[in-house]
Amino acid sequence: MTGAASRRAEALAARLPPLLVAAERVAATVAQGVHGRRRVGQGDSFWQFRRFVAGDTVNRVDWRQSAKSGLPAPSGWFVRETEWEAAQTVCLWRDTSASMRWRRDGATEKAERASLLTLALAALLLRGGERIAALGSDARPISGRFGLERFAAALDASDGDAGLPPDMPVPRRATVVLIGDFLAPLVDVQRAVGRLAATPARGYLLQVLDPAEAALPYAGRIRFRGLEQDGEALIPHVESVRAEYAAALTAHRAGLSAICGAAGFGFGAHYTDRSPESALLSLYTALGVA
Amino acid sequence: MIFATPWALAALAGLPLLWWLLRVTPPNPRTETFPALRLLLGLRAAEETPAHTPWWLLALRMIAATLAILALAGPVLDANNDLPGDGPLLLAIDNGWASAPGWQKRLQAANNALDRAARTGREAALLATAPDEAGALPTPTPPMPVADLRTRLAALRPMPWPANRAAAAEALNGWQRPNASTLYIADGLADPGFETFARALTAVGPVTEICCDSAPVRVLLPPASEPEGLVARLVQMPLPVATTAGVLAQTGDGRTVARADIVIPAGASTGQASIALPSELRNTLTRLVLEGPPSAGSVVLLDERWRRRPVGLLAADQTSADAPFAGDLYYLHRALAPYGEVRTDDLQTLLSRDLAVLILADVSLPDGAERDALTKWVEKGGLLIRFAGPRLAGAESDGLHPVPLLGGDRQLGGALSWNAPAGLAPFQPTSPFAGLTVPDEVKINRQMLAEPGASLPEHTWAALTDGTPLVTQAAMGAGRVVLFHATANADWSNLPLSGLFVDMLRRLTSLSVGVAGRADSTLLAPVETLDGYGTLSPPPRAATALAADAFAVTPVSPAHPPGLYGPESGRQALNLGATGIELTQAPTIPGARLQSLTDAPAEKPLGPPLLAAAIVLLLADWVVAMGLRGLLRSRATAVAMVLILAMSAPAWAADNPALTTRLGYIASGDEQVDDIAKSGLAALSDFVNRRTAATLAAPDAIEPGRTDLSVYPLLYWPIVAGAPALTAPQATALNDYMGRGGIILIDTRGSGSGTGFAPGTEETFRRIAQSLTIPVLAPLSTEHVLSRSFYLLHDFPGRFTGDPVWAQRDQDRANDSVSPVIIGGNDWAAAWAADAAGRNPYAVIPGGQRQRIMAYRFGVNLVVYALTGNYKGDQVHVPAILQRLGQ
Repeated sequence: MTGAASRRAEALAARLPPLLVAAERVAATVAQGVHGRRRVGQGDSFWQFRRFVAGDTVNRVDWRQSAKSGLPAPSGWFVRETEWEAAQTVCLWRDTSASMRWRRDGATEKAERASLLTLALAALLLRGGERIAALGSDARPISGRFGLERFAAALDASDGDAGLPPDMPVPRRATVVLIGDFLAPLVDVQRAVGRLAATPARGYLLQVLDPAEAALPYAGRIRFRGLEQDGEALIPHVESVRAEYAAALTAHRAGLSAICGAAGFGFGAHYTDRSPESALLSLYTALGVA
Repeated sequence: MIFATPWALAALAGLPLLWWLLRVTPPNPRTETFPALRLLLGLRAAEETPAHTPWWLLALRMIAATLAILALAGPVLDANNDLPGDGPLLLAIDNGWASAPGWQKRLQAANNALDRAARTGREAALLATAPDEAGALPTPTPPMPVADLRTRLAALRPMPWPANRAAAAEALNGWQRPNASTLYIADGLADPGFETFARALTAVGPVTEICCDSAPVRVLLPPASEPEGLVARLVQMPLPVATTAGVLAQTGDGRTVARADIVIPAGASTGQASIALPSELRNTLTRLVLEGPPSAGSVVLLDERWRRRPVGLLAADQTSADAPFAGDLYYLHRALAPYGEVRTDDLQTLLSRDLAVLILADVSLPDGAERDALTKWVEKGGLLIRFAGPRLAGAESDGLHPVPLLGGDRQLGGALSWNAPAGLAPFQPTSPFAGLTVPDEVKINRQMLAEPGASLPEHTWAALTDGTPLVTQAAMGAGRVVLFHATANADWSNLPLSGLFVDMLRRLTSLSVGVAGRADSTLLAPVETLDGYGTLSPPPRAATALAADAFAVTPVSPAHPPGLYGPESGRQALNLGATGIELTQAPTIPGARLQSLTDAPAEKPLGPPLLAAAIVLLLADWVVAMGLRGLLRSRATAVAMVLILAMSAPAWAADNPALTTRLGYIASGDEQVDDIAKSGLAALSDFVNRRTAATLAAPDAIEPGRTDLSVYPLLYWPIVAGAPALTAPQATALNDYMGRGGIILIDTRGSGSGTGFAPGTEETFRRIAQSLTIPVLAPLSTEHVLSRSFYLLHDFPGRFTGDPVWAQRDQDRANDSVSPVIIGGNDWAAAWAADAAGRNPYAVIPGGQRQRIMAYRFGVNLVVYALTGNYKGDQVHVPAILQRLGQ
């Protein structure tokens, strides 16, 4: 590991605990509003009592409930059923490229918001009993209520400078969650999403943008410089191109939406000046329904 | 308004081009990072609207450019001030002694005229009306380019002698040029040659006359001697209002020991004021100087005439004359020796040398050569003082008596007499002894009586209580004869035993005309002469020796410039005002255009302010351009720019008295006293900063009741005679200050050796102090902490010394035994004061560097006392201090 990378890792590690706390807090807010599968199945949560029927094994009888019923056996016997909790593998990825580490006028950095959302989602999923993995890391999927820190470490290890998810195998029928700004050319995005969809995998793509990227709040003669060696653009009069920029952004987003639709992915957009809870709720709901 | 370089205005034609360039050149883009750059990349071709410079920024830059061009064109605001003619310009300048005040203004006026001549390409010539140092009479230069003439003009100096306009007029006779015009810068002093000079100037061409300085032309005359000091006199041109001139009496090393104000009433041309000085101080004087702009006329050099007064003593019986307690000359010797030169010899020898006063103790002069020689000496200006006695009473009248005497003597209070010994009557105001107090114990037992007559009271300077004269006098020729009607020893009276005797003799001695070395035709070479500004310098080449008896009648000239002549032992001074100078206002030249020197319309070049305005606009443009480029967005940049722009603003915070320790003085309202206090405290602060760890800033003037006193550790309060009583808020403020640990040094500025320097201050202070809570006082002693707070001191001198200094009695334990008030009259500020060159302008009295240093040390002790309180009074230090004191 080079010195620079080591330093960056340390810096990130130092930042993670507060981020984890924040993620837990966001996740707890959202957890109030979601429920299980509302089906009987294998799981830990109590679902219902039902009458004993022939064929039920005796050790599934809840004797305390049966005794309370006061009815003769076996018609007074009750079986305790738990809610069905299907463990699913969810692969999470968030964009950590240079273009994500940008903000304007005191807003939250896009990368920070993306990490927060990823970790909060991971926390929620872990509470829900799912297994989660960081896309791009070789670690095995993590489960259990206390796997969040391990996941955070795995997430750090998967950091890369590419603006798109890496070309790595994901478990079959896994769910993939991609969080980033997806400002790369649509062709590249389509290739990456298509590859994941062919695994096959379902998924969700969340575009995180700075409000300035939507509104282009500049004026006058400005030389714009990209963050990832993508050149410069001298705009002699920014006000006059604002509308066309908005159109271009809408077109780009429509393209992303179309790509996701074709691949069976969900798509959402989030601005860093909005609250992370709402984004997380929609993300989680989308995953739960899927 | 005209333009010095009108062709620069052609650049205005380029402004439209500049307009176009500024319009099409957009400001530098500012750079921003932006992640969604790819979306913007596609837009570049679609949008090509050029960015325009905002119209107001364009206007700003155009105005700045216009201003810069106008400034370079050199506009000059001096309309309707052109010189007539287009030929050579003759610049005639009076550079006699009267032109020295305001010489810079004259040069400025001449330079302005040269500027104008240079702009129109005229040549110029220069004529200075006073003879130069080599004695060459004034001659005009040939016309020459202005640049060459400027160096000659710059080399021109005011001369210490008057202008010679007759010679200048003569020199102008052949000077005729076509279309010439004349500018005459006059000193306003009439002189016999003015008429012809005016005609000669008018003959050259149209005359513009610049006259005169508003400051009156003044000449200080040689002072008159008086018993109490000198009488400074001055002559000036009559003015319609009363004016005041300050005269400083200075010693050889440049210190000022006294100052007097001469008030010249409206319309009068002379004024005088007496400068009271003890004779010891008077003898150190070398010059009197008029305050104000220096010139040769504002300085009077003093020579031996104002100082040396040798006294000759002669007794009838030379052998017993000096017998202790009985001899005729015994008391005279003791009374006179401390104050001057006293000689005892026979008459012939005495008269053969310079003598101001001759005292004959009971000597009768028989007919003969001796009496004739003595009579001649008196008639030439000598002062003869005679004392009566048995010999005089028994001799015939010798003609050298002020009043006719009755033969014999009169005994008062003897064994066979009814009457008692008589005392002295108070002196009449006309008597030179006026003001001396008559002690009761002085009794006259015997006296010689004068013949009663109608004129006797006029001749009487001192009389007994019964009206009989004791001292009579009469003028004789240029001199005077004074007779004491009693003996010079204690035989006839006990007057010689009293201090009054000494005072009377000193007053009489100072009445005499000083002795000015030889008054014969010996030639005295010039040693040091005054220049046009009244500064002593080596004599000019043309200066020649002057006969010793010609000093009173020789007017100053290049051959005899004012200054000091002769060998060191018999130096004589030649002064500008010695020959009875008369100042009359010169008329103006008929037909001349008149301008005033003071409010001549000065040329106002408008270029610099225009350029400054252009620079300010360009700075504003810079700020705006930075703002447009987005470099002003960070607050730090904005703050830095404001700081850069405001760098020249004075740092007001540094003047906050609460931030730095500093001394204060209570403003008395008397400008001179306040100046001394300020300068004194500044010098003391300097001294304290050098010698101790304390750091004091420049002192402040304090107005009790208005200024916050709490930040000053020590206040100096010089008392001015006749100061008004404290108002209630002032008294409260000062009492509060003293009650809460402040220290006030109160200075009545006239005690001990300086008694009489500041009359009335003690009464004033007594009156003022009624409203102050002053604790019980005791004289400062070496026991007091103040005597060892930094230096070990045995006395506490300032400019004066001798009288005790008072502080709070030590037993008082309030306020940690720190005295809230120190009271004395040693004029400390004057001792501390130093001028810009670090010299001390006020002589300490009785004098000596040690007294000055002790004064500074007292100041340091005082400051340290104010800053540390009774720290040094701590018993811990007593053994060490005792050891150092050697006790």
